[in-house]
Amino acid sequence: MIKIIIIIATFIYLPLSVALEPLAEEDMQKVQGQGGVYLSGDITINDTGGPLNNMADTSNPSVWQKNCTTTSTDVRCGARIAVNAGDGSNSGWLVLDNIRGRFSFEGLTLTTRTIDSGFDGDGAAFNNDVLEIGLPNTVNYGDVSYTLANSNQARPTDTGFQQTDIFSVNINGDVSLRGNLLLFPTGNP
Amino acid sequence: MKNIKLILCVIGNSLAFSAYSLEQLSDSSLSGVQGQAGLTIEQSQLLNIGNLSYTDDANSLNIEGFRISSQTDSNATASRTYTLDVLEDGSLKMKTEIEPTQLHINGIRINNSAASFGDLTLNYEAITDFSIKGMSTGGLEGKFTTGISNARMIWQTNGYGMSFDNIGYNASIDNFTLEYDATDNTKGFLRTGLALGMDNFAFSFSTGALSLGGVSLGELAGNLALSANAQIFAGGRSGDEGLTLHSQVNILSDVNNYVRFTDEGNSLLMGDFSGALNLTNLTFDVELDHLAIGFDQMDGSFNAGTILIGDSLRPVGSIELDFMLNDDTVNNRYNRLQLYPGIRQPDFNMMPDQIKTYAETFYTGLGPASEGLSMAAQWNLANAELSYIDDGRRVVVSGIESYGSANTTVDVRDKKLAIGISDLIGSYSIDGLRVGSKTAPIQGGAELLLSLEVFQAMDFDIDGFTEITAGGISGGGIRIDGDYFFNNSNIGLSVDENGEGIWATGVNYDIHLRDITFDVESDGLKINRGEQWSTMDIANLRWGNKNTGRSLGRVKLERFEQNSSLAVLPGGAGQVCVGASASTESTCGSGGGRWEDRGDQGMTVALTAKLADISKGSGDSAGAKNRLTWENNRTVTDGQPVNGTGTQIIFDNYSTNDGLGTADSNDYGLQANLNIDVYETKVLKKSTDALGSIGDELIYNDASRTDFTYVTSPSAAQKSLRPLGFAVQGNVSFKELNIGAVQLKHPDIATPETVFYGVVMQNLNLTTNLTATPIQ
Repeated sequence: MIKIIIIIATFIYLPLSVALEPLAEEDMQKVQGQGGVYLSGDITINDTGGPLNNMADTSNPSVWQKNCTTTSTDVRCGARIAVNAGDGSNSGWLVLDNIRGRFSFEGLTLTTRTIDSGFDGDGAAFNNDVLEIGLPNTVNYGDVSYTLANSNQARPTDTGFQQTDIFSVNINGDVSLRGNLLLFPTGNP
Repeated sequence: MKNIKLILCVIGNSLAFSAYSLEQLSDSSLSGVQGQAGLTIEQSQLLNIGNLSYTDDANSLNIEGFRISSQTDSNATASRTYTLDVLEDGSLKMKTEIEPTQLHINGIRINNSAASFGDLTLNYEAITDFSIKGMSTGGLEGKFTTGISNARMIWQTNGYGMSFDNIGYNASIDNFTLEYDATDNTKGFLRTGLALGMDNFAFSFSTGALSLGGVSLGELAGNLALSANAQIFAGGRSGDEGLTLHSQVNILSDVNNYVRFTDEGNSLLMGDFSGALNLTNLTFDVELDHLAIGFDQMDGSFNAGTILIGDSLRPVGSIELDFMLNDDTVNNRYNRLQLYPGIRQPDFNMMPDQIKTYAETFYTGLGPASEGLSMAAQWNLANAELSYIDDGRRVVVSGIESYGSANTTVDVRDKKLAIGISDLIGSYSIDGLRVGSKTAPIQGGAELLLSLEVFQAMDFDIDGFTEITAGGISGGGIRIDGDYFFNNSNIGLSVDENGEGIWATGVNYDIHLRDITFDVESDGLKINRGEQWSTMDIANLRWGNKNTGRSLGRVKLERFEQNSSLAVLPGGAGQVCVGASASTESTCGSGGGRWEDRGDQGMTVALTAKLADISKGSGDSAGAKNRLTWENNRTVTDGQPVNGTGTQIIFDNYSTNDGLGTADSNDYGLQANLNIDVYETKVLKKSTDALGSIGDELIYNDASRTDFTYVTSPSAAQKSLRPLGFAVQGNVSFKELNIGAVQLKHPDIATPETVFYGVVMQNLNLTTNLTATPIQ
């Protein structure tokens, strides 16, 4: 599972050529033996906090030790990503903080397929294989939240740590995602 | 025929060279045999044979220093008693009681080779009882029982030994037949041979400890019952002499059948198994420098109804395996095994640089006369179907094919078993999955096995050198140190039965393992990885065909871990709420979730990866680190992109720690727990058409899961006919994952430019409840 997630993440974030096309689900399901998987379920981030919040683990720094329930609003209960995009020790950190929430979906598909027609004639010229991500019709966001911030240190435990929150986001509801995302290598490998 | 000659020769020599003693029967002894018929022979035996040769087409198998003696004194006799009777039905009955005896062989050579297979010693005592009589149709029939106890077998090479201690073995055959009426024409002419039949051949075995240097690897025990027929003919695969055998074996279905490995009181057990094994044209020949074994076809099935890990009462599920190995003369793929005395070292100059030094070190001190076992093997697995059944739900890994060859050496060193494998060259592939039944249509989705570190297809060329030491992290168990290199291999990550998909091609993968221990503990199988570093260099990550598909470029993954671990535990996720946070069915439903009871069976894989900072390496691992490099826009020479000539993005020196930075401890690492079950999946229609409306559920018409319809609101019965798939409840967490730098490198500059001077990710606890169904 981890490898699948890594593969997906790799392919999503690498600068590939990406195309969206209308659904062709019936054609896809009738092709015997074609590779691919249909994924349903949910992904939850820090529903009851993270490992640094575990108060029973005395090795955790006190700044992180919080009682994180599903309804807790403590900013330390979420995950945190700090990125130094400056010039190292002389610059601050761009932070996504207090990342929490649940994403539920039915029908995310992953498969490879050959494109040799359609796309206003470009398909025949392409005549090659693509990785197809079939988007689920609906993704439900349940208390998805994060805070965008700047800080002078990477970690809340670092000496002199200060952080300025820029804005926070909380999302609840459904998002419609229809169609297929096609990923294919282009250019010089 | 040669084999019979060999047996007669051994018996003849035994009689010729044994030392006998005759003792007078006392009066009291005589009084005990009144009215008894038959004959009792008490034998005190000391047998020494300097050289015993078996010759096949002018090549000889030489058994040197063959000795039967007392266990305590190799110059003293061992005692045994034969009691013979003729029964009322005309059977000859013989009971043999063997007092503690030692059987020893100094060495086994081929054509008096400089090196031998090593020396063997077997200490044992036994009682056997068999009766035999003539059959009305010709031939012989009878019964047989034997019990071997207090046995110990020792294999020594170059002065070092490994032993199977405290062996017990009991066997019985309800009825066996021996006739000379089997016929065969596999050599182009009709020949007659022995037909051997065994009805209900039941046996049990146990070995108290398999030990190296006095330390136990663990204990083995088993119980099995089978019926078998075999036909034995004179003449092997080459020349005029040798041996040929066909056999048909049925493993009788019995819940008491089992094989068990026990480590410190905790067991891995496969039980309740049944199956069949058919062998066609199994041949034995002595060649110029080796013993040749081969078969034309071996097919069969193996079913294990119970699999237990640890001493838990919760079974993992059951497995069924159907397989067929056969010769493929069109593609020159055969099933052969050649056994050479001594250690045949590989040609180091032909080895890739990445493994050459490790190979030379591995064979240091061994020469042409060193004792050991060398093997050259070929195999061709034409097809195999492997079913995993979890709470009655079946997934079949279908169309497993493999072929290849390998050279292997095995010898015992100081407290170590050394196994060297060179030129392991071959291929394997998996067509896809069948879900629900063995005859369901084949589907994609074998990429789901990636979660178990099983790739869907691979072309490989591997050199690997392993040392196995007894003793795991606690008490018994197995400890492994090894160095391995995959040269120019192709790995199928997501591939259909036509070989199209996502391929990692031209892969050079070197792996180094230190202090890897395997232990069976009360709650499961534990693998602790003391230190591991590796580099997987993928020349091209391709879409489509592995040779012609478009390439994404080069991907290079370097890994460095210390004190990571992997545990395989019985039981899957159990009861799960998908889509909400709840612990009961009612609160799950009211919270908008879906309640799933995935049963008691299944499997849990718990991984802890402690990614180490570059500063932690020392000795062989000095300089090792975790780094991911993606390179493209490479210059092309002779049609191939040249690594190192393109533009790279580098995720450099990433590692885990306990939250305070790279100088902090690394006890938590990156933890991934996967609860794996086979379960029904909710598959929704994505568009409205003549087959149904968007959002309708795919429901199979019956349990064969071949035809389906879309249903708007399925009933409870229909929900049980949802598509099956792997249900994975996963949790990934870490206290801190630190990336030292994200860099870009242009080919014209020597040093990469840094984009991000650090990425610090903390306090992640990510849980997934995903059900993955193969797409039909």
